[in-house]
Amino acid sequence: MAPPAQSQRSPSPSQPSGKGEVSDLKLQLRQHAGSRAPGADDAKRELFKKVISYMTIGIDVSSLFGEMVMCSVTSDIVLKKMCYLYVGNYAKGNPDLALLTINFLQKDCKDEDPMIRGLALRSLCSLRVANLVEYLVGPLGSGLKDSNSYVRTVAASAVLKLYHISASTCVDADFPAMLKHLMLNDPDTQVVANCLSSLQEIWSSEASTSEEASREREALLSKPVIYYFLNRIKEFSEWAQCLVLELVANYVPSDNSEIFDIMNLLEDRLQHANGAVVLATIKVFLQLTLSMADVHQQVYERIKAPLLTLVSSGSQEQSYAVLSHLHLLVMRAPILFSSDYKHFYCQYNEPSYVKKLKLEMLTAVANESNTYEIVTELCEYAANVDIPIARESIRAVGKIALQQYDVNAIVDRLLQFLEMEKDYVTAETLVLVKDLLRKYPQWSHDCIAVVGNISSKNVQEPKAKAALIWMLGEYSQDMHDAPYVLESVVDNWDDEHSAEVRLHLLTAVLKCFLKRPPETQKALGAALAAGLADFHQDVHDRALFYYRLLQYNVSVAERVVNPPKQAVSVFADTQSSEVKDRIFDEFNSLSVVYQKPSYMFTDKEHRGPFEFSDELGSLSIGADSADNVVPAQRVEANDKDLLLSTSEKEESRGATNNGSAYNAPMYDGTSMPTGASQLQSELAISNTMVPSHSPSSSLAVDDLLGLGVPLAPASPPPPPPPLKLNEKAVLDPGTFQQKWRQLPISLSQDYSMSPQGVAALTRPQAFLRHMQGHSIHCIASGGQAPNFKFFFFAQKAEEPSTFLVECIINTSSAKGQIKIKADDQSMSQAFSTSFQSALSKFGTT
Amino acid sequence: MLQCIFLLSDSGEVMLEKQLTGHRVDRSICDWFWEQTVSQADSTKLPPVIASPTHYIFQITREGITFLACTQVEMPPLMGIEFLCRVADVLSDYLGGLNEDVIKDNFVIVYELLDEMIDNGFPLTTEPNILREMIAPPNIVSKVLGVVTGNSSNVSNTLPGATASCVPWRSTEPKHANNEVYVDLLEEMDAVINRDGILVKCEIYGEVEVNSHLSGLPDLTLSFANPSILNDVRFHPCVRFRPWESNNILSFVPPDGQFKLMSYRVKKLKSTPIYVKPQLTSDAGTCRLSVLVGIRSDPGKTIDSVTVQFQLPPCILSANLSSNHGTVSILANKTCSWSIGRIPKDKAPSLSGTLTLETGMERLHVFPTFQVGFRIMGVALSGLQIDTLDIKNLPSRPYKGFRALTQAGQYEVRS
Repeated sequence: MAPPAQSQRSPSPSQPSGKGEVSDLKLQLRQHAGSRAPGADDAKRELFKKVISYMTIGIDVSSLFGEMVMCSVTSDIVLKKMCYLYVGNYAKGNPDLALLTINFLQKDCKDEDPMIRGLALRSLCSLRVANLVEYLVGPLGSGLKDSNSYVRTVAASAVLKLYHISASTCVDADFPAMLKHLMLNDPDTQVVANCLSSLQEIWSSEASTSEEASREREALLSKPVIYYFLNRIKEFSEWAQCLVLELVANYVPSDNSEIFDIMNLLEDRLQHANGAVVLATIKVFLQLTLSMADVHQQVYERIKAPLLTLVSSGSQEQSYAVLSHLHLLVMRAPILFSSDYKHFYCQYNEPSYVKKLKLEMLTAVANESNTYEIVTELCEYAANVDIPIARESIRAVGKIALQQYDVNAIVDRLLQFLEMEKDYVTAETLVLVKDLLRKYPQWSHDCIAVVGNISSKNVQEPKAKAALIWMLGEYSQDMHDAPYVLESVVDNWDDEHSAEVRLHLLTAVLKCFLKRPPETQKALGAALAAGLADFHQDVHDRALFYYRLLQYNVSVAERVVNPPKQAVSVFADTQSSEVKDRIFDEFNSLSVVYQKPSYMFTDKEHRGPFEFSDELGSLSIGADSADNVVPAQRVEANDKDLLLSTSEKEESRGATNNGSAYNAPMYDGTSMPTGASQLQSELAISNTMVPSHSPSSSLAVDDLLGLGVPLAPASPPPPPPPLKLNEKAVLDPGTFQQKWRQLPISLSQDYSMSPQGVAALTRPQAFLRHMQGHSIHCIASGGQAPNFKFFFFAQKAEEPSTFLVECIINTSSAKGQIKIKADDQSMSQAFSTSFQSALSKFGTT
Repeated sequence: MLQCIFLLSDSGEVMLEKQLTGHRVDRSICDWFWEQTVSQADSTKLPPVIASPTHYIFQITREGITFLACTQVEMPPLMGIEFLCRVADVLSDYLGGLNEDVIKDNFVIVYELLDEMIDNGFPLTTEPNILREMIAPPNIVSKVLGVVTGNSSNVSNTLPGATASCVPWRSTEPKHANNEVYVDLLEEMDAVINRDGILVKCEIYGEVEVNSHLSGLPDLTLSFANPSILNDVRFHPCVRFRPWESNNILSFVPPDGQFKLMSYRVKKLKSTPIYVKPQLTSDAGTCRLSVLVGIRSDPGKTIDSVTVQFQLPPCILSANLSSNHGTVSILANKTCSWSIGRIPKDKAPSLSGTLTLETGMERLHVFPTFQVGFRIMGVALSGLQIDTLDIKNLPSRPYKGFRALTQAGQYEVRS
């Protein structure tokens, strides 16, 4: 049932356009319209089926509206259902034709068969045509009073549909009051449940404007109403029970005995076959007992078994949702689950998202009594075929080691990993050993013996290499060949692509030099020379800093680089406890699955340009419905942003100048001719160069340095943009869409983002501002980490030639895709270059 | 509140779309979803709850069919997933299996079912018995009936009385010529045996399946000889809570037909019926593999359909494996499957052979996990035993049948 408009515009090539077939069907339907002959219903049924199947595959059959309505005079219920389906799908796009159907639907609402009455009422309210609401009120009113519960059930939810079409009509007809009456008096629980869900929604959205509605909403949580529902809860269908339990979770009991009454009443719900009911019940229990610490703990004990059963029964999808909740509870109270650790053992067949959750839980529940077994289990995963999981489990072993007092056995295990000779295992382990040594320096002797055997050639991953180099520097007095290993790494300076590794290398060589000067002198000289010539700003600065430090006073250098260190006692937690509490309050909601409180993904300020995304979806397929892609205030905001970004530039330019001013006079070239001359030439360049922005100091700078890297001139100057873009380009969304549809793609390219750019993309607004600084304007954007999508436009200066860009960026893989459409095809390559250069500068501000 | 349900074929084609609320969800969401699926190479690797740029998506996959539901508001995730699972179960039950053709042939019925199962984004009834009364399944019987009686509608003209009755799972007073009830204990054993051959985890997940064909409103009580072994239980809504709470007795008015009365878990079992002992020794670029299988503790009935399956690590170039019993086959995706069938009395089945490693590799560092399958008819390995089944409120004596079956669930042996 694709929107009819879409198929008119661009029928996809794989499907028949359906024009011929549709007119064929039209003829046949006409023939059968008035026929009452025996067998006519069967023929009609076949025709209807065809119509519906066309509709399903996305062919527009709205032109048959008239004929379908004519054929709908029938007593055959299947025919009627198909007709309702058809009408419901197309009425919104054809409000005039929809009027035709009102008559027969209204008649059906008075049919003697309650099923037809119900179905007709449902269809009538699903038409969603605003100018037909006057016809709904009558049938709806009688539907609510119908003698048959099926019709009343339908009517109760139909009221909500009416409310969404026209809130005022619904309220004026006094339907909420009727629903309330039904809710409190109807014998059928499904009617009651539907009334409840409709009323909740109506009153919540009315509450902001009407005092009465907010009072009514409060009244839903009053004791008599809650008890009315609770006492009948077993009669409700399982889904309705979820609804009621959701309501009860918000109820605040007046005293403790009430809390126990409710929990007693609901205890058997924990054994319900439907997992949704079980989770909803657990939420009630947890919420009710929040203020009673000891009971709250008993509740954990009570809900443990049902949760664990839910995890092991049911499909993988269900058990994932339950595991997410279990994960939350385990993280909150790991001690309570410490004896159940075996439930978190990973099974071979489980998808990796499940394994990941389980590994985190295993890490959390590890304590003195079970650590040995858990670590044994985790070690088995290290040989897993699934490499990300193998890595994850090694990390888990390390985390456990960091949270335990007795790490004896764990260190042995970690060291065994190093002997496995798998590069990813070695890499992960090295990082962990480094952290471990920072916390437990007393283990250095054992670790160093093993680490010393690892050849730095076998370690490729930057993080691992940095860790290895750190250890070489830190423990160079204990490692026999440390200076020579470092020297060989320095020799391959140019092959080392990661700045992090080069930074660590500089520090390590200096540390080593201070401990064993004669052996390291050569390596230090080479490292400093290479560092000074390095194009990376941080590396350059650090080399320069060390160089001058040594020149100034070697013993000061010793104090700076090799101070007495205190063991790290606690590593920083990634998630704040406030956030964790918020998630807990939203138990049994999507927040738990995403491990983010809902305000972070539903609130406007957090979800960034999420509000455009509706239109974005249709933009990409070229729908015409988006008549307001960019709200008016957005343009204003753009203007402000523009001002802001220029002033930022001023500031950074100032800082840059300061940086060079600081650099220049300090230079004198005595002891290191090679490094010095390069340094000079670089300084010379840097003074003339167009100031661009230095990389942020987000890299893991060795903490003993602890100095903020000053802003300073960076990398080679960008080529002057060959294309001059109009800074104040204007394009309204309508034109953008039109052009986007008409123009062919003139260029499509893949692009890799710099890590800084990716890191900065967590704030898409900043990205948009940045691009605007380069005269590339955003017209719509959307997406959520890791996928972002942006639509940009730019205009050539002095010429009304426009470029349109669709840019998709995946932050997890740091890959982007750019599609460019241009009025002037010949210029698209030039534009692409300037677009990419603008993109590459993002994040380096 | 769900806004839309899509059914996608295994090639990502939208087979069916059911809009549930006024906020129409555009089909392009399916394209987005499918791109994600393709990039993951396997839709089962995608988490069941995903945030797309515009909607939150719930997805489950059954027999190659993807059931997709979208929402834009916060809701209990398990409700969305559980509902989709029910939809899949009901459709599979109605259509006698799930595949692309059967859904396309019967899409009208699927629409009808969805219509009754969910209204305005909120699940209504998913109880198969009630749905069956509103929409007749498209089986041959009803087709024949339609021809004979001339009533071609596949919908009964009466409305289900059950929506108003106090036992919503039971249709009004069904009549059966032969009154019979079958109770099956179906158990699955999950076990993990670690590298040192130690049983680190062993538990049983069991279900009590009842197939009831009883007239009128019968009242059943089922009791176990040893209910204390059950660690945790979950019940069909028909089970009364109090009798279980006080005496561990299941008292219920059953739905008509097949249903899951109860599911349970038995923890901390001490032994498994069979042993599987893999051994890998690698040296100089080849690896010798041998696997021994045998009966550890005889359950008293034949152990059948024994299989051992494992994935060869990617670093293995070729494998030469043979067994003294059963057949060994290596599939294209490097899955090696050894089907043993029944374990013979006189000898212990063994599999042995050599694996050639990638050039340059001396020893194997990634070890396969062996997944074991077996079936034992007539025994519930947890030891759970049915004591009595009493049926009240029935004029004639019904036939009662009991069966038990234990299968391997997630039974893995690491090497």
